[in-house]
Order: sequence, then structure tokens, then C-alpha cells
Amino acid sequence: MLIFIILAPIFLLLLYFIVQPQPVSIPIKGRHVFITGGSSGIGLALAHKAISEGARVSLLARSLSKLEEAKKSLHLAYGVDVGIFAADVRDYDAVKRAIVEAGPIDVLVVNQGIFVPQELEKQDMDEVKLMIDVNLVGSFNVIKAALPLMKGRKDSRPASIALMSSQAGQVGIYGYSAYSASKFGLRGLAEALQQELISDDIHISVIYPPDTETPGLEEERKIRPKMTEMIAGSGSVLKAEEVAKKTLDGIKSGSFSISFRMEGKMLAIATAGASPQRSFLIAFFEVVLAGISRIVTLLFLSNVYRSIRKSHAI
Amino acid sequence: MVLFTLILATLLLLLLLFLIVRPKPVSIPIKNRHVFISGGSSGIGLALAQKAVSEGARVSLLARSLHKLKEAQKSIREVYGVDVAIFSADVRDHSAVERAVAESGPIDVLVVNQGIFVPGALENQASEVIKSVINVNLTGSFNVITAALPSMKNRKDGAPASIALMSSQAGQVGIYGYSAYSATKFGLRGLAEALQQELISDNIHVSVIYPPDTQTPGFEQERKIRPELAGIIMGSGGGALSAEEVAKKSLDGIKSGSFSIWFNLEGYMLGFSGAGFSPQTSFPVAFLEIVFAGLSRLAALFFLWSWYRIIQKKHAN
Repeated sequence: MLIFIILAPIFLLLLYFIVQPQPVSIPIKGRHVFITGGSSGIGLALAHKAISEGARVSLLARSLSKLEEAKKSLHLAYGVDVGIFAADVRDYDAVKRAIVEAGPIDVLVVNQGIFVPQELEKQDMDEVKLMIDVNLVGSFNVIKAALPLMKGRKDSRPASIALMSSQAGQVGIYGYSAYSASKFGLRGLAEALQQELISDDIHISVIYPPDTETPGLEEERKIRPKMTEMIAGSGSVLKAEEVAKKTLDGIKSGSFSISFRMEGKMLAIATAGASPQRSFLIAFFEVVLAGISRIVTLLFLSNVYRSIRKSHAI
Repeated sequence: MVLFTLILATLLLLLLLFLIVRPKPVSIPIKNRHVFISGGSSGIGLALAQKAVSEGARVSLLARSLHKLKEAQKSIREVYGVDVAIFSADVRDHSAVERAVAESGPIDVLVVNQGIFVPGALENQASEVIKSVINVNLTGSFNVITAALPSMKNRKDGAPASIALMSSQAGQVGIYGYSAYSATKFGLRGLAEALQQELISDNIHVSVIYPPDTQTPGFEQERKIRPELAGIIMGSGGGALSAEEVAKKSLDGIKSGSFSIWFNLEGYMLGFSGAGFSPQTSFPVAFLEIVFAGLSRLAALFFLWSWYRIIQKKHAN
């Protein structure tokens, strides 16, 4: 017992020295926050939060009318004008034009996303392609369009690129093959990109919300396969405001992975893999709890497969 | 006393794992069964074809170039005296893939192996190239799977079937210069975890294969244009494996219905630290995952520390 008490601080010290990249603080006030998928849901909630913290905000989305509504609601709430840009993230040139018009970006929030749950054998390839094109290719388009100006920025303070993933981007779930594929993909992108951009003082954050109360979720739950609801429906449903607040806090502290509530933290530890961890304290918990985490996930999977077997037997 | 407790705890854990790991282990025969390999005309795909043929499987190859397919067919005929069926199609073309799959007949082991990799920092990579990598590696894999699924689900033989997805160590950790490639390879895992839940009731077993650098024509091309930093970072892993080694281990993993198939020490370390919510059908391996989880995460943190030092040092110059 004594040994552990002595080893722990030494271990913490070791972690303090090895965690890379080092921790960073990213200011929001007075800086330009550009949010894709910003006209509703989590994106809009993020816009609210960023404005309330003194940021200059731009929103990109497909529907001009939704953007105008968002702009109006934000003006009503804060007396501030946001830039709005209508473009489809699948159209690189349109995205590029919008981003150039918006001006140099300090915090890029790549948040657009579509989710259509369905067993793969029943799903139309058009829907699969839609999710991959909007959620993954679209994210590459947005980042690539914004990069040159972000890299060449005059303001020498740290910048941020935040990618909206999902708990479905940490664990593949029945009915989410295409959605999970696109969200898992964002993590591969992020891990590689952080290595490429660390020298430019640009910091990547990947955000893993659970189900969040948004217009998108309402639509999705109507068509969710029963099995999906059984497996995924038991978690908490968060309010968009809570997700926005924690997201922005995570972005400001340059956290690579941003998770929500206790279950989110457990998911993060279980799926830590080779993602960077900039907080030596959290790294400590990741290492110490890794084994127990795997036991818990194996139990979870055991349950999942038992439910599937039972429901199939019916 | 301590030793006794440790041994007892180990045995109890092993027992617990034996009772809870799902899906259960399975044995998937290859002999006389139909193995369909996309990206099968060269590299790992061709090596897999050769291995499968040598084990008595009936093999079909899908690839873009009819010319390369015919060469592959000829080389296999020369070595094994067996004819493989060849189908020329681009995996991005769903109808073409459907036609090929229909013509080849019901599939028992589907190996989704096609893939392109074009290294380069994201800022230097053309958006068209990024789109191709995603369309071929990820969307293309969906095309192949959805084309094969109906007949796989309706197969007459009651034996277990397999869908194997060719990922990469770059699908276990994102690497400098591989943002698009890593994105697609990570994506395959999300697909696989969801798909296994959907297909377990049909006795179809999903495997994800994570090879390191492998000596293939594709690799030769890629090395020439690989960014220097990527080379240094990846060079810190093991050396490149031969396609035969990768093929053998892949097929062994497929036959034992392993969900994750890893290679070399780095691969296992990444596999243990990134076990996440991937199923584990083998309770001894599950035991190792648990016991080495913390150490693996620590090792991953060390790797990241050394990579970021390399990157920052290079930038300082």
C-alpha cells in the first residue's frame, strides 16, 4: 500500500514531463470563431456561448433562411451581428469563398453533420454516401479552406480547430455503421492533423457529445431501429447549451478530446488509444484506470450481444 | 500471501472473462469456400489470394485494371494450377460492384482490401485527392459490403461467414501526412463495430486487419513521396513486413473469427491501448488487454512524446 503512495507522485511527475503536446490556453474574447452547421442545434448553441464571451462569430450552413433566423435570434439576444454564409460543405469552392469572405479565423468549429440510423443491409447507399460526404469529406473541405489563412495569421496567439464527433465516434453501434464510420474518421484526421499543425500553434480538439436535444436528434429518434434505441437510448440526453459550454471550455484549454459527464469520461478513458493527452493529471487516470475500463467495456459488449441474441430469438 | 492473492485474482479474472466475452469464439473454414477479395490484383490482396488458393479456397478477385487482374490470374495458375475468377470494377461504382458480386456467386469470406494512400500534409493535398482517398477506401468499402451482404445473409451452407476489412496501423493512430488515409482507416473500425452487432445473428463475423508498412508496389510508390517527418515518425516502428506474412496472419485471424488482427509489438500496444469497444472473442487475449491496458497507454504517451519532440525539433531548424 505504502509503495503505491510513494510511486504515485513519481508517476505523476513522469507524466508531467512526457505529455505532449504541452497544455495551452486559447482565448476566445475578441477573436473570430467560425462555426459550420451553425444555424441550429449544437452549432447555434455554440454561437450563443461564443458571443456571450465576446467573440466575433461567423456561421456557415446550407439554408440561408435558417441562417437568417439564427442571425436574428442572436441579434435579439446579444445586440451583436454574426456573419452568415450559405454553402454546402461538400462544395469546396463555395466553402473557400465563404471562408475567404469571413476573414482570418482563430477558432474553427467543424460541426456540420448528418445522421440517418439504419441497419446497413437496409440502408440506401445514397444515405451512406451523404453521411460520409457531409460529415467527413465536408470536414476536410472546411479545414483545408481555412488552413492557409489560419497558418498565416498575424495574431500570434494560439488558434484552434475543433471537430464535432460523437459518442458514436468512440463506439460503433448497431444502426450507425455509416455515421460511426464518419465520426471515427474525424479522429484519425485529428490525430494526424495535430502533428502537422503543432508548429503553427494551432490546436485540435475532438468533441464527443452523447445524444443532445436538437432538431436533428428529434428527427433521428423517429426512425431509429429498435435495437439501436435499446443499446444507445439508455444514455443521458444533454441540452445543447451544456454541450456548447463544455465544448467551448475544452477548446479554450486546448484539450484534444472533449467528453461529457461521467459516462463520457469513462468512454474517453476506454478509447484513449494513441490520442494525445495534454493534461498530465488526466493522463494519470487514463493509465491507472485503463485495465478496469476494458473490463467495463467487455461487460457492456457482453450485454449488447446478449440483447441482440435475445431480440433475434423472438 | 501477496502471490497467492495475485494468482487467485488472475484465475478469477480469467474465469470472468471466459464467461462474459461476446461474441463467442468461432471457427471459419476456408477450404472449398468462396473468398472474394477487392483490391486483389496486387500487394496484400494478391498475397491473400495466393494463401487462400493454397488452402483450397475458391477465389475471386476484384480490381480496377483488367490487365493487372489477368496477370494475377496467370501467376496464380502457374504456381497453383488453379483458376481464380477476375472482375474488373471500380469500387466507387456501386452498380459495377453489384454486377461483379452477382456474377461471382454467393460469398463466404469477403475481404474488403482495396485502398489508396497518398501521403502529404493536409495543406498540401489537393481536395480532389482527399475525396478520392475517402471514396475508394471508405465509401468504396461500403459499396462492396452492401453489394455482397444480401447473398451472404441468404447463404445455403450453414457455416460461419466472414467480412474482413483491411485497415492499417494508421487506423490505430493518426500519422503526420496521413490525415485522409488515417481518417478512412479509423472509419473502417466504426463501420466494423456497428456492423458486427448487426450481423452476429446471421453468423457473419467481422475482422479488422491492422498491418504496418508492408512491402507492396503501392508502398514503393508511396515511399517516394512520403513527407520526411512521416518517414521519421513511422520509421520508429518496426520494419516493413512482407505481403506474405501479412496475408498469412490475416487469414489465420479471419479463420479464428478475430475481430482485431494486429501485427508486431507496436500493433499490439496500439491494439491494447485502443481496445475501446472493439469486441474480443478470445478470453486469454481479453485478459492480456486488461493487464496491459495501462502499460500500453503509457507506451502510447511515450511514443507521442517522442514524435512531438521530433516535430518540434525539425521546426526549430
